[in-house]
Amino acid sequence: MTLNKEMNKTTNNRLLKMSSEYKQASFTTIISFLLTLVLALNSFGFGTQAAKPAVLAVTIAYAAFTVLQLWITRRIRHDVLTADTLQKSTRRFGWVLLLSGLTANFFMVSFAFNLIKTKKTPEYVFAVYMVMVQLFIVAVSALNLFKPYVADLFPLGMLVLLSVAFFYLIVLVLMARFVDEHAADKRLIWIAIPLILTAATGNLFALLLSVSLLLKIRRQKQPGISQWNLIWTKITRNTTAMLGMFFIVFVFAISVSSYLTFDYDLAIANNFAVLLQPPSLAYPLGTDDFGRDMFSRIVFGARISLIVGVLSTAIPFIVGGMLGALSGYYGRRTDNVIMRLLDILYAVPGILLAIAIIAAFGANTVNLIIALSVGAIPTYARTMRANVLMVSNLEYVDSARALGSGDMEILFKHIVPNSLAPMIVKATLTIGGAVIATSSLSYLGLGVEPHIPEWGNILKIGSTYLESHSYLAIFPGLAIIALVLSFNFLGDGLRDALDPKMD
Amino acid sequence: MKKTIVPALLALALVLSGCINTKSDVSEDTATDGVSNGDKPVIEILSMSSNETDVNIVRDQLTRNGFDVELNLQPDYGSFTAQKDAGNFDVAVSSWTTVTGNPDYAVRALFKSDGANSIMADEEIDELIDLASTQAPEEHAATYQELEQLLVLDRAYIAPLYISYKTQGFNKDVLKEDSVRLSKSRALAWEPIDFVDESKRESDPFIVSQAISSLTSLDPIKGNDGSINQLNTNMYVRLVNLTDDDELTAEASLSHAFAIAEGNSDYYFVLRDDINFAAIEEDQAIDTGERVGADDVVFSLDRASNPDSVPDHRTYSLHEHIDSTEVVTDIATLESAVTAADDTTVLEALEAELDTDIAELVEEKMDADNAAGKYQVVKMTTTEPFPQVLNYLAHQSAGIVSKKQVERINTYDVESYDVNTDVAYGDQNTVTEGSSYDNHLYASGPYILSKKNDYEATFLKNPAYMADTENAAKISNVTVRFIADPDSTLSALRNGEIHLYYGIPETKYDVVEEDSKLALQSMESNGVSYMLFNTEGREVAESEELRKAVLYSIDQEEFINYYQGNKIKAVSTVSPLVDTGNELVADPAKVEEFLANYQNSKE
Repeated sequence: MTLNKEMNKTTNNRLLKMSSEYKQASFTTIISFLLTLVLALNSFGFGTQAAKPAVLAVTIAYAAFTVLQLWITRRIRHDVLTADTLQKSTRRFGWVLLLSGLTANFFMVSFAFNLIKTKKTPEYVFAVYMVMVQLFIVAVSALNLFKPYVADLFPLGMLVLLSVAFFYLIVLVLMARFVDEHAADKRLIWIAIPLILTAATGNLFALLLSVSLLLKIRRQKQPGISQWNLIWTKITRNTTAMLGMFFIVFVFAISVSSYLTFDYDLAIANNFAVLLQPPSLAYPLGTDDFGRDMFSRIVFGARISLIVGVLSTAIPFIVGGMLGALSGYYGRRTDNVIMRLLDILYAVPGILLAIAIIAAFGANTVNLIIALSVGAIPTYARTMRANVLMVSNLEYVDSARALGSGDMEILFKHIVPNSLAPMIVKATLTIGGAVIATSSLSYLGLGVEPHIPEWGNILKIGSTYLESHSYLAIFPGLAIIALVLSFNFLGDGLRDALDPKMD
Repeated sequence: MKKTIVPALLALALVLSGCINTKSDVSEDTATDGVSNGDKPVIEILSMSSNETDVNIVRDQLTRNGFDVELNLQPDYGSFTAQKDAGNFDVAVSSWTTVTGNPDYAVRALFKSDGANSIMADEEIDELIDLASTQAPEEHAATYQELEQLLVLDRAYIAPLYISYKTQGFNKDVLKEDSVRLSKSRALAWEPIDFVDESKRESDPFIVSQAISSLTSLDPIKGNDGSINQLNTNMYVRLVNLTDDDELTAEASLSHAFAIAEGNSDYYFVLRDDINFAAIEEDQAIDTGERVGADDVVFSLDRASNPDSVPDHRTYSLHEHIDSTEVVTDIATLESAVTAADDTTVLEALEAELDTDIAELVEEKMDADNAAGKYQVVKMTTTEPFPQVLNYLAHQSAGIVSKKQVERINTYDVESYDVNTDVAYGDQNTVTEGSSYDNHLYASGPYILSKKNDYEATFLKNPAYMADTENAAKISNVTVRFIADPDSTLSALRNGEIHLYYGIPETKYDVVEEDSKLALQSMESNGVSYMLFNTEGREVAESEELRKAVLYSIDQEEFINYYQGNKIKAVSTVSPLVDTGNELVADPAKVEEFLANYQNSKE
């Protein structure tokens, strides 16, 4: 009897674990519940001893959806345990959950899209995230309407963003209808091309989707699944990786579209009439001690954080990668000289080196990027060297050599491309570190100039008002945490997808 | 379908743009900045990063008025000075505190051609400074008004930012509220401070904070900065003191009384006989038995007014007006001299303040016995009539040191002094814990420094400082905790780690006020923040128009706003000391005009 029960429990657990819908459903329930709690805490003003009606309304909406979500989760559980697949009627509730998009509950919308469609191709998932990113950008940009004035390009920018969003919605429907696991309708090529163009608004999901689509259309007749498709199928099934990617793409896209929809003056010009205002509609994240809009500052700060993060990863990636490849391929003395020199560099603590470089050459963005790059070169070189050592012993390299290929051709055509996977994973994981390093240096007054909106700078001001105006530190802090966490999630997802042992 | 979408969206955009204000809609009137032709002039602001907020406000104001602004932020005072000396700036954010409380000090070192901190040379300004220094307070207001007009408003050698408040917060659960003084110019006097629980006077230290842990020198004349002003003030007694509102007083000083003789050139001081030097022996403050007397006063003032008395004499410019100092042994000298104030003799003026009349003047300090009418009197003569000299004597650099001890330590030859081998009196290494520790200090004040490290300095009470009078130090031990960061210092004050924090940041007043165990004291200070224009090799050095364009871009109201009302308008470093009636009003129209003139003159 007990044994039977125990066995049953194990089987049930396994069944539930196998269902991606159930996993995501419980995750979404927990997150939504936590969000509801945070909102509930904020809906009561402890200073005024009165409830805030606006926040209270949002809280109720969140609570309602959370209850619905909980109910759907139980239904899914029931379905999985009894029939091993979800009933059509359960999936239909996904449409109801879509409404939670009005409350900007990203997790729930993402789950809803997942629930609605039975067979999810990477293209469908890309399209879903592409639409969500676009809608978020439109919503965030639209908040500027409450400001005393908006940027000159704002109406044009909003028009572009809105029409792109509309176009994306159409694309989403098309993806759901005309693309399956192996084939895509040939006429979709006319969608793919404008899609690439819209990626100029910064929505990288559009780029991914169109590349994916073009590849699928081209490979129509060939049997089997392409490498690209295989990798992305794995990543798109990984909710946390997609979550990370969503935030990264969102931050990137908002940085790009902020050129149109945000006014830089609000982020750097002092306005002594509105010092240290708490969050309001005109200033969604409040204003700092110079009366600058925190919301605009954080949006513009994303630009610097991303640029510095990406560039200070790309430079050691390329330089370190080259040195590591040469060192691993030629071995012997070349290896010894390069690696020992890099060992010396490695012996100097990275942040100390960065501080020294900045102290010597002055604090500005270019020096900051160089300072953060130099210290990271040795680790990239080591990673690359190890991969090259392994790959260059494989048979196909020998055969290339037997066929008379030159050293450079073998190295860069045959070895390096096959050694890149661990480097890419490493790079994704270290971008997060670079973002933190940038913010730390700015926090210490060694990064970019103090009035430039950069997350570390914003946090620095916030830190002096931690007690009286804590939101000044909380929002930039959250932004840094979210971006770093996102890169880490994406890196983990990439590692799982690129690692052949995980198959 | 698409055919209907595009017009619909366009219509939407039209509606959108119709009912919202774009930037150019609202800023039409401000869109035209002063410069119509030519490039925007570039202004490089040099500052320490601790003044980041001031720099940001200035940067914003200059940008709005049509300048391009570059920032040169340096992390510490050393690199700031290096950049300043190298001339890498158009304007340097500077500050000046007139610790002596007299207007001459506020301008002499800064703006006179031969001033110690001066980078400018303007004959008219030199003349005005010299003229004002010889005048009595009633007359000099007009001269300083003229000086300000010329220095700031007409020629724009500096652009003033604000006057600060002097603010201290202390733990009123620990310290007696009425025993903690806040003085306008004078550094914090420790000796009157007392614990609420008087039984703790012997056992517990009074803990105060200081930002700088590296002490310039404990020889009074070899330093004049934030690292030692408070410490030396409490370690060396002076001939006179300043009251909380900068009046001269003999109270709690080495003299019972002082008098100015007719002509404003001769000054008489009658000395007390109840102060002995203290020294440190085996971590205890002991009475050396050596009295602080006239020979020490003569020695101290002579070396203060002699630029070659020590290497690195940092306060000569304060004391260059002292011509000679001597011990008066003939009582007839006092009887024949008439005071400047009225027709009484100096003797009468001095005796008016004494319990026992002067019966005899003695040469040897150990012979003095005030109760028996045996006094020591010192006469000081200035190079020219200079009533403000008394303010300089109240400054810590005029602290009285022991002739015997300083001569015993300073055996080196000043010309060939080598900082690595020669030990100078007051060298901080001799009081720093470790192998070089060899405390040779002789303190004439209420406290003596026992030892220090990078974390704190320990002071002990001088047992022979006016013992059994109300001026004797109340608390036996004082600990000076070195905390560089203002926010950390404030936390230390709030969690009881320190008892008193001098210089609370303006934006943190409410935090102190809300804390029930803390008290906040605040008064207008003599500290002025201003921007100094470069005088060599830059456009601003050549063009008065450009300087004035910068000057009139400065809106001091915005500074006051930022600091939540806790700053005061300033015109020059004299502003807190003399009411000149001048005011600097920001004027974008003038900026536009000056900039246009500047651009034209360039073509």
